[in-house]
Amino acid sequence: MTFWRQVYEVARKDLLVESRTAEVALMTAPFGAAALILIPLAIGTDAPLLSQLGPGLYWIVVLLFGMLVILRKSAVDGQAQRDLVRLLGIEPAAAFAGATAATSALVLFFEVALGPILIALYNPELRGWPWLFVILPLVAIGMGLLGTIASGVTTSIGTRTSLTPLLIVPLSLPLLMGATQALEGLRLGRGIVPWLILLFAVDLALAVSGVLAARPLEEAVT
Amino acid sequence: MTIVRNRWLEIVTVAIIGVSLFRSMTVVADVTQGDVQRIMYVHVPSAWLAFLAFMVTMVGSAAWLRTKDQRWDRLAASSAEIGVVFTGLAIVAGMIWAKPVWGQFWTWEPRLVTTALLFFIYLGYLALRRAVIDPVQRARRAAIMGIVAAVQIPIVYYSVNWWRSLHQPSSARSIDTPLRITLLLGVVAFTFAYAVLLRRRLELARLEEELDAKRFEQSQSVAGADITAPSLASHPHD
Repeated sequence: MTFWRQVYEVARKDLLVESRTAEVALMTAPFGAAALILIPLAIGTDAPLLSQLGPGLYWIVVLLFGMLVILRKSAVDGQAQRDLVRLLGIEPAAAFAGATAATSALVLFFEVALGPILIALYNPELRGWPWLFVILPLVAIGMGLLGTIASGVTTSIGTRTSLTPLLIVPLSLPLLMGATQALEGLRLGRGIVPWLILLFAVDLALAVSGVLAARPLEEAVT
Repeated sequence: MTIVRNRWLEIVTVAIIGVSLFRSMTVVADVTQGDVQRIMYVHVPSAWLAFLAFMVTMVGSAAWLRTKDQRWDRLAASSAEIGVVFTGLAIVAGMIWAKPVWGQFWTWEPRLVTTALLFFIYLGYLALRRAVIDPVQRARRAAIMGIVAAVQIPIVYYSVNWWRSLHQPSSARSIDTPLRITLLLGVVAFTFAYAVLLRRRLELARLEEELDAKRFEQSQSVAGADITAPSLASHPHD
């Protein structure tokens, strides 16, 4: 089996598990939507203020509630599943890439699911919206990479659900910064290329780190 | 003489810290900021030390993954602990300085935010270490996280820097010579303090590992220990 076929099969397996439980679609996404509804009740329902704050709040919800999407995989994959993947001769780098692809796809789904709710509730300016087709996947890939690495180092640890977000959230600052500032740049009609480069650089650095760490990560959970 | 030979680093460090402290209290005050500027002699060396400590953590992590020698893991962990303490010190000293100069303890300026994030990143690293009991597994997972964190640090730094900047640029070359010498003396003193703390912490970490190994050996039951021989005392008439 070629490397890319292995990546595809691992990603397919993870997405198949998600399609059976629909955890992200039926639980995490509504949870994030509920948060977007609650926030204005805490900070005020002034329409111009919400229109301005909406995109930033959206990214905060994606980042923090996206943790649940990331943690989902480490909760589903037990020792038996990990042993099976290893016995099948899947390359550690392929297993990492496949898991990242699946998590990124689910984070992207989560982002897209919250988008209409943001527009309906906060009425943000949508100038330059086609750029979202670039920004949303770049953030999703970054979160997927960071999440797969962090989930890998916390696998089978009792305090995993608390520890993983502590590892991810401070390191995800460039993703949050890139996403929010790119949208702000679009709103103000400024250039957003530096922020896209930042998002791309984060993804690249994490991808290289993850692929290089894939074998030690696999040994760590053996 | 033996004490001097064994403790030369500590003795030199205490002497340099003493000179640095004396100089930072007696050197001429800054014209615009006054005495509050003296906090810089603690704040800047603390921040420098934090970055140095985290770089050493990255080197120790990479070396462990390459050699699997536990000494590198001890180096990475010990350095991270010291780094977290000095990051905290840099933040607190910066906030004390910021209140009279900027009018508030906290401003959303890049270096402040980056330093705070560094604190949490390595707090997570230390939490990860505490969560894993097996020494080899702990070293492996921590080494991966140590490298990933270090790779992300420059990106975190530049992302915040692009965002906005209030913080005064590096002033080591623009300040007067007496103040610069005092600042550099502080950096040297803190670096020596780091070396002493690191040496002590490494020794402590080695002793902790030995103790853990002994406890583990003692906790292993001998084969057949569950089967107890009948006590003669319970059958006095036999």
